Amino acid sequence: MSVNTDRPLLDPNAGTVTPRQLWRRFLVFGIAIVLVVAGLGLRLFQLQVAEADRFQALAVQRRQGTAAVPVTRGLIYDRKGRQLVENVPVFVVRMVPGEIPYEQRDAVVERLATLLDMDRLRIYQIMDQVMGSSFEPLTIARGVSTQVARVIAEEHLGLPGISVEVEARRRYRYGKLVSHILGWTGRVTPEEHGRLASEGYLASDTIGKAGVELTFERQLRGTYGLDEVQRDAAGRVTSTLRTLREPVAGDSIELTIDLEIQREAQKALEWGMRAAKLQRGVFLVMNPQNGEILAMVSLPAYDNNEFARGVTTQRYRKLARDPNRPLINLAISEQLPPGSTYKLITGIGALQDRKILPSTRIRTAGHIMVAGTRMNDWHSYGWGHIDIYGGFAHSSDTFFYQVALRLGVDRLAYWAHEFGFGRKTGVDLPGETVGTVPTHAWKRSITNPPQPVYPGETAQAGIGQGYDMVTPLQLINAYSALANGGTLYRPQLVRRIRDTNGEVIRTIKPEVIRKLPIDASLLKVMRVASRHVLTSRHTLNFVDMPVVVAGKSGTAEYGVRDSKGRLPFHSWFVGFVPREARKKAGDPNGYKAVQRTDSELVFLAFAHDSRTRGNAAIEISKYFIQLHYGVKKDYRNPELMIKGNFYGQ
Amino acid sequence: MGTLRLQPARLAGLSPRAVSRAWTVFDIQLAVYATALVVIGLLMAFTNSGDDPLEAGSLFTRGLMWLAIAIMVFTVAAAFDYRWARTFVWLVYLIDIGFLVMTLAIGTGVGGTSRWVTLGPLQFQFSEMAKVLTALTIAAWLAHRQTRIDGFGTILGAAVIVAPPLGLVLIQPDLGTSLVLGAILFGALFMSGASLRWLAAGIVMVLAAFPVVWTSVLKDYQKERLISFLDPAADAQGAGYQLIQSQAAVSSGGLFGRGLTNGQQGAAYLPVQSTDFVFSRVGEELGFLGGALVLVLFALLLWRVLTIGWRCRDPFGLAFAGGVAGMLLFQLLVNVGMVLGVMPITGIPLPFITHGGASLISTALALGLLESIAMRQGKPSG
Repeated sequence: MSVNTDRPLLDPNAGTVTPRQLWRRFLVFGIAIVLVVAGLGLRLFQLQVAEADRFQALAVQRRQGTAAVPVTRGLIYDRKGRQLVENVPVFVVRMVPGEIPYEQRDAVVERLATLLDMDRLRIYQIMDQVMGSSFEPLTIARGVSTQVARVIAEEHLGLPGISVEVEARRRYRYGKLVSHILGWTGRVTPEEHGRLASEGYLASDTIGKAGVELTFERQLRGTYGLDEVQRDAAGRVTSTLRTLREPVAGDSIELTIDLEIQREAQKALEWGMRAAKLQRGVFLVMNPQNGEILAMVSLPAYDNNEFARGVTTQRYRKLARDPNRPLINLAISEQLPPGSTYKLITGIGALQDRKILPSTRIRTAGHIMVAGTRMNDWHSYGWGHIDIYGGFAHSSDTFFYQVALRLGVDRLAYWAHEFGFGRKTGVDLPGETVGTVPTHAWKRSITNPPQPVYPGETAQAGIGQGYDMVTPLQLINAYSALANGGTLYRPQLVRRIRDTNGEVIRTIKPEVIRKLPIDASLLKVMRVASRHVLTSRHTLNFVDMPVVVAGKSGTAEYGVRDSKGRLPFHSWFVGFVPREARKKAGDPNGYKAVQRTDSELVFLAFAHDSRTRGNAAIEISKYFIQLHYGVKKDYRNPELMIKGNFYGQ
Repeated sequence: MGTLRLQPARLAGLSPRAVSRAWTVFDIQLAVYATALVVIGLLMAFTNSGDDPLEAGSLFTRGLMWLAIAIMVFTVAAAFDYRWARTFVWLVYLIDIGFLVMTLAIGTGVGGTSRWVTLGPLQFQFSEMAKVLTALTIAAWLAHRQTRIDGFGTILGAAVIVAPPLGLVLIQPDLGTSLVLGAILFGALFMSGASLRWLAAGIVMVLAAFPVVWTSVLKDYQKERLISFLDPAADAQGAGYQLIQSQAAVSSGGLFGRGLTNGQQGAAYLPVQSTDFVFSRVGEELGFLGGALVLVLFALLLWRVLTIGWRCRDPFGLAFAGGVAGMLLFQLLVNVGMVLGVMPITGIPLPFITHGGASLISTALALGLLESIAMRQGKPSG
């Protein structure tokens, strides 16, 4: 080849690139070709001649490998041994793409799509997701009906590479009743698999996704066995050489929940929500002596069976976008203003800090002035000079404004933290939130330029409004500490773990977070004051019930004022029942009973955005007490559940 | 794309005398190298066809059928005065886009992708065709811009022309073919004498856009493939699997190979080795000598392609040859590099060797047009 570079390649007058420049480009391109070919040739030489042994060894390793031996997942029982979940066998359709002759592939997919009523493209998508050996089985469909499974099994000649297998799936016997507690299991996502493959999770595995199914995943799952196996050239297992790890079936867990109490709580809350047209609510029951949760109801709930079956994206999105958030456990995952229930903290903190004595009287009125701002009581006139019993019983806002100001916001926060607010309780459920306990430092960190908490805000914090945010579980746990004489326990949902034979292999003991540094006598004062809440008839006919209940109601305003200047509000009631629940002749008011620290039942009712004439949470609480203690007479006041702000009108 | 005028090729070029004279300057070397590569490809189809390669519908018999069509395409393209392609470049471009839109509309592919269009018993990947048609369109643009070839507008215009087909291929999604389109663009611009400075700037811009492409355009499986290339052993059962197996298969061939149909390694482990990983079979059965022969044949073929472009003295032919050379070199590098474990898995076929009708026919069309250019050298179009 000879190239005459003097001859103009292109019209020299037309172009701006000279032939010499172009010639250089040919040279560069030629060199690129030589480099590419030489580079590939060298690599070829390295692979095939120079280092052939090393590269072939890579492939031989494939011939021996390991295979997992799945085990059944442990079960879940309530504290009385009632089985809450079972493993049911379901048919699963699997495909080994490498066993389908190429020219039959479309036909097989077509037939499968018809039988399973799936989109053809969906099947191709599943096939394309896996990058590894085409002899790795892929799951095409789960929960296939018996008939379809039978048809596929019978057509196996026309459906090469397709098999029907049996797999265990969770069936939750009580569905929505305990779904927020149990959670659900679902397929391992690629991300989870990437993280957990070293722990023996398979790509087709299931894993706990919510509730105790998630927190106790390790125990429930057990340990998959591991066999060393011989594989043929195609990667299929031909024989088992030896067992590397024995499979150990998953352990079963026993909840602290008592399904009976759970039902009572659910029934009471459902009635209240129907009567007061509520969208959301919580009912909690705990044993204050050990922190065991006996009932945890958060409504609305979801059906976890729907998830165990494999929820569609559409359905999931619908649930996730529901404004009432059925997927969220309101008891632990929502931050809510505690309202007057928080006056326990203000009161006990001031007593222990000696800012007030049990006998200290403070003037209450329709309003007081704090740093030049008028701050109203819920009551138009107040109650004159009253002590802590009266202040707590009447829930006097002006009383607690002044107490909070004597205490100061940082001391108030100190006591709130002591009672577990602003911290996770450590309950064995995922998704717990911490709430907010305002302090000067906290306020400065969120304001720019930094601002301290102003006196008006401190006063608000003293009555559970303003910046205060709690979870229902934190609140009931604080009242548990009041009821048991000053011990803050970690709320717990699981009490025992049993092996497959039902033998208890581990008991989860009550865990003390801290002993509160508060005089027993002052806690006794607050328990008696809690009883005064009822005996003063602040809670109307609650006191007439034959069961001794002490506690505190709360009305927590939030959000935006309506056209009449009223705020929407949540209703709370949190209370405890002494061990001797029934009223005694020698103690008609129950004051003696509540002075003891032997209570085995605290409960909390929460009515989200209630806006009822009366306190909806109190009505729900009364109904629960009736159901739980078998009170024949009905003390509920349905007229208090009618919508209408009981403050403003 | 500016004003692509209708530029009539001279009808005199079609006279019997002119045609017979043209065949005397037919580039024999190009045809010989291409034929040798096709024969190796057919051998691979034969050895990959299993127990009965002569059975109807086997890779081998289908390969023979595609070869027959490819020879026809090659002959017609060589006889055809390539300058008509410049004259009717807007039509070429329209067909190009049409093919790709049709593929998206009615195409099927593995896993929700749409890459193949089914025509009766056959599947055809029109994006292969689009590569050659896009090369023609770019060449016409560069010929049109001849007087201002080193301006920024040249590169911008070419990029604008290539963007729609590239985008359509990318959403199939077919990352490999869209990269090949980029290589064609680069080859044509480089050989036409486009400003190196602007070219470098363009490449830098494309690289800068890579993070965006990574997060929003690439599918997870594509990322997995690209990542696994960096460390195949990390995920030997997953995405790195094919890489390890393919290297081991090549390695087992040694200097002389195991001989045709004796390959075992690849047959058992490589699920897609009849398509993108076919070079591993070449290495396994024909050994280092066979593999090196393929590489040398490619080098010679590429050299002929460049020579034709150099000699034709027609900016349109030069740009087209540059585009085709860019395409072939890129596919060679990426495909063989992938099999040998030095390039990521992108699913780009190896011209001539990979069994696929569309790849063979589009290569035949490209080479046929190059022959047409070779035979009509010295006659600038327009």
